[in-house]
Amino acid sequence: MVVNPGGAYLGADLFVLDIEVQDGADLLLTTQSATKVYRTPGSYAEQRMAVRLGEGARLELMPDQLIAYREASYRQHTHITVRPSSSLVMAEVVTPGWSPDGAAFRYEEVRLRTSIRVEGPDGIRLLALDNLLVRPPAGDVTGLGFMEGFSHVGSLLVVDPRVDQALADDLHALAQDHDPRTGISLTRTASGTTGLVLRALSNSTGELNNLLAACTSLLRKRRHGQEPLNLRKH
Amino acid sequence: MLNIRTSTSATASVGSYQLALQQLVDSALPTGAFVHSLGFETYVDAGVVRDEASFGVWLSAFISQSLSYSDGLAIRFLYEGWDAGELDELLSASLLPRQVREASVKMGLRLLEIGAEVFPSPDLDLYRDLVATGRAAGHQPLAFAVVARSLGVPLPEALTAYLFAAVTSLTQNAVRAIPLGQNAGQRLLRQAADGVAAAVERIPHLTPDDFGAVTPGLEISQMRHERQRARMFMS
Repeated sequence: MVVNPGGAYLGADLFVLDIEVQDGADLLLTTQSATKVYRTPGSYAEQRMAVRLGEGARLELMPDQLIAYREASYRQHTHITVRPSSSLVMAEVVTPGWSPDGAAFRYEEVRLRTSIRVEGPDGIRLLALDNLLVRPPAGDVTGLGFMEGFSHVGSLLVVDPRVDQALADDLHALAQDHDPRTGISLTRTASGTTGLVLRALSNSTGELNNLLAACTSLLRKRRHGQEPLNLRKH
Repeated sequence: MLNIRTSTSATASVGSYQLALQQLVDSALPTGAFVHSLGFETYVDAGVVRDEASFGVWLSAFISQSLSYSDGLAIRFLYEGWDAGELDELLSASLLPRQVREASVKMGLRLLEIGAEVFPSPDLDLYRDLVATGRAAGHQPLAFAVVARSLGVPLPEALTAYLFAAVTSLTQNAVRAIPLGQNAGQRLLRQAADGVAAAVERIPHLTPDDFGAVTPGLEISQMRHERQRARMFMS
């Protein structure tokens, strides 16, 4: 459990987290409450997190939603290194905070940059670079091609030896029962490892959390063998 | 084989690279751009992109986002001396929607092949070798940048030409798919030229942290295209 220090992030705050999940270990990491970023005059608030997963190690990274308030600027850099046998699930939700005029998107910038590397027998390869950038003052972020009329964005990243097109299809089927506008795709394959990315838009944290929880439940169920693993390939 | 840099005085008088650059970005260059919508077909299917104005909105978003933060920045970094193999891996990792990643490589491999035939250079050989040995995928903006740089095309011109060529292909595809009139297509190109010029101004000011930045909307549509039932385009 990460307890958000001081209750919120303010201008020029820098939080550095270093996490190692050793071979065969299992960690569920969440926050105590939402990460709130208030006004950051002068300089942005920043979180830098380095994560390393050992052989057979498992990490579920499930922070509460990020709330960026009026005039907030936030950068999050997450560097993750996994082994081909590691299992990573990372879920995030970004929401605009309340502002006095009731309008959404009063924050300056939210930048969530996550890189995932695989350390395999042929060296360290970059598997995925997820660089989510929403910068409301730069123009219309609400419309077509940007937030499509929605205010909240959710992401799920999965890197696990069992990621394949069948899993993407199953998560897609699951997402059909939920309201958010969702896209799912597979990353490149590096060192025999493939990742899965889910991105969803909604107007409600609750809807996004329900979708992400349903997806992670399915992944857990598979992991613990409570349901036969389907290894069919397309 | 013709070496464009030692060509006739007639071509030298219009700039040694001008005609080569025109050939490289001509929409008749057979890279297969006509089979890719890079996500706009998802909007067409949903009825969101349905006419000249709505396609113009999508195109403008695509220029200011994907074409700036991915293609444009990759071209600039290659010109600045970044390693082609490293940039290739960054593109493969950051183009998260599978069809868009595959489109970039399909068109890139064709461009590498054509480049080797008509504009060979040691740098192009090096990049082709990375691809042939499985150390790189072969992405379109990098294949273009390697050839353009070897021809002596200055960066602003290379960026302008590449971005406008991408915009032209997409507009031609929209004219067929939506469909739009030929004159509407020309009006869209005229309008998109302003977006391209703004992107060329902005790309030199972006930082390495900006590389591969995406908006959720464009990306989700590119991902959803994988599951669209009836489609004209591969992406």
